[in-house]
Amino acid sequence: MSNRKFAPDPITGFLNRGAGLSVARRLVDEAAAGRQPISVLWLDIDRFQNVNASFGHRGGDRVIANVASRLRAVLPDGGVCARMGSDEFLVLLPGWQLVAMRGLAARLAEALELPVPMGGVMLHPTASIGLAGLLPGEHCHRFLERADRAMLDAKRQGGNRLVVSEDTMLADGHSLCLVREELAIEADLHRALDEGWLSLDFQPVLRFDGRLEAVEGLMRCRVDGRSLPPGRFIPVAEKTGLIVRLGEWSLLQGARFAARLRDEGRPTRVAINVSRAQLTSPSFLPALHGALLCAGIDPALLELELTESLVMENTELVQAHLRRIRETGVGLAIDDFGTGYSSLSCLMDLPATKLKLDRSFVQVLPDDPRAFAVVRAMSRLARELGMVMVAEGVETEAQLTALRAADVDAVQGFVWARPMNEQALLDWLEQRKTP
Amino acid sequence: MSAETPQCARQVDRVLERSLRDLDIPPRPLILDRIRDEMNGPEPDPGRIARLIGRDVGLAAGLIKTANSPYFGYPRRARSVAEALRMLGLDAASRAIAAISLRRAFPDGACYERFWHNSAQIAALSGWLAQRCDGLGVPADKAYTYGLFRDCGIVILLRRYADYPRILAAANADPEGSFTGHELAALPTEHALVGSLLAQNWWLPDALVLAIRHHHARPLLEHPDAGLPTPGANLVALAQTAERLVLLATGGAQTEEWAKLGPACLARLGLAEEGMAALAGEAAELLGDID
Repeated sequence: MSNRKFAPDPITGFLNRGAGLSVARRLVDEAAAGRQPISVLWLDIDRFQNVNASFGHRGGDRVIANVASRLRAVLPDGGVCARMGSDEFLVLLPGWQLVAMRGLAARLAEALELPVPMGGVMLHPTASIGLAGLLPGEHCHRFLERADRAMLDAKRQGGNRLVVSEDTMLADGHSLCLVREELAIEADLHRALDEGWLSLDFQPVLRFDGRLEAVEGLMRCRVDGRSLPPGRFIPVAEKTGLIVRLGEWSLLQGARFAARLRDEGRPTRVAINVSRAQLTSPSFLPALHGALLCAGIDPALLELELTESLVMENTELVQAHLRRIRETGVGLAIDDFGTGYSSLSCLMDLPATKLKLDRSFVQVLPDDPRAFAVVRAMSRLARELGMVMVAEGVETEAQLTALRAADVDAVQGFVWARPMNEQALLDWLEQRKTP
Repeated sequence: MSAETPQCARQVDRVLERSLRDLDIPPRPLILDRIRDEMNGPEPDPGRIARLIGRDVGLAAGLIKTANSPYFGYPRRARSVAEALRMLGLDAASRAIAAISLRRAFPDGACYERFWHNSAQIAALSGWLAQRCDGLGVPADKAYTYGLFRDCGIVILLRRYADYPRILAAANADPEGSFTGHELAALPTEHALVGSLLAQNWWLPDALVLAIRHHHARPLLEHPDAGLPTPGANLVALAQTAERLVLLATGGAQTEEWAKLGPACLARLGLAEEGMAALAGEAAELLGDID
């Protein structure tokens, strides 16, 4: 089997996760049918999030590309590489016994130790590596799970090491449970897309005079009648790339609901969250236009929420897409504002229409006079720049009073309204009309 | 910085500005929500669904007609909605109802009439081919529904962009470049993506949604691991081959899509180009039955 390079990951040229899993299944089937050995190596760069945090995604991509080229240099003929996550790689070697794999892992670790120059410093990447050999009658996903679990063990022991999977399975239930849970959630998400188990709840954002500023759509997923918390399914969706399709679905649903509100005589801006993977996907702009077109709404009725760190990312693609969003007339809100390190000069150039203050500022109000001063200064600045300032996560009357005094324009939080489904929100609007 | 400033308004792409003013997305038929609720409930009751469908005479007749269609090859005829539901099963019935509702969701117009007739022909032959290539494991009704929905994005774009027929003609006549690439060069979106959004909004199964989205993506059809799962790729191959058969059988104007996608489609279906003329002969007879 040659290392066919269709659907390559753009940074590394390796197979992407989906193609990697699919090729793995085939190779495992072939090995099992021919009674040949096959081994797998699961590699994860240690503390890679620090690289991203210090040098941005562009720097992170450079490190990944560098690691990939070193991996390629030591990869024997017939080996298959796939990029399984931002900093995770899978190497499959049909015909290889586990013992030979150890030698390869050692060479790989050696190759990685060479420093990578980055922003004036030398980085010394290290990796946690898990190894597994296929057991008789073993299913592909169990085989990969064992390699992943061994890698997590290596990580737990401090990283920069190799752990060979015990042939006895379930020796340590914990990390295996995590992997299993992720795989189960991935399967649930596929079913949810297939069976229409996704929905959006909407939470109102209100101005102090009672006017509705916007409603924010929040994705919900119910599988077989049980609700899957967003905190669990969103990270898995991000890791597997499903977030792009979930995001496109949200765009259409948001636009459709905006059309419904307008048709009911209550034109309201609907805000939808957009992830990094979605914003940088080639299908992002066609999907945004497709959603606007399908729903037939004025683009000003749709607003996209992006996190501060994403908006500040100085890549050409991100900035070009941000400009195009504004050119269509769709609103642009910066979520979790104040948690990143945006300088005021950046703020001046931003094409944003709204800032959503991070809840960490709100939580310390009204007791923290310094936080109050910062919020007030930011609100005034936002207004000067023609942006609306919204505070999120507002839970108490005391916070509300402080935010009003700090000149914040609008508020979102349990103090006024919880997220509701479409019909409940329409009922809520109806009730507000009749005192 | 708000959307209303003159500066921003000027920046709005003129094509887009013209296109986003008025509303006419075909909304998801309520009956699809009802059926989905019933199917997702603790005890789905086909009787209740049959009563819901029965309230709409056109829908009921359409469903019975679907169940009795020769392309599905059921041995006996359905005489009531309940029988049609039993024969088709709730999943297939739900797809059939979506298919019946699709045509109704768009207003009439002479230029669309031809489009729908063509879609109906492609859908019918897709179902028929699915039966012939039974090794693929694609249910005939799924292939039928797919054939009908595959190009619904075209109708949405036709109604938006006066220039769209010209773009379509250029895309059809290009032997090399990507079909949707032509659309994206002139418009902010393309029909395969728009069609897939509509299909997803109508709760069609994910394989159908993906197959609509990627039905012009040659690399995805040629490489089994490139991101379009096998069931979706099989649907694309069935409908593309069905379209070819329609053109051969009716002597319609040929497009360049077959040159680009044909070999991968035939390979997937286990058919050969040399056998197409004979298949087209059989197809011509079947097409005679379509109104």
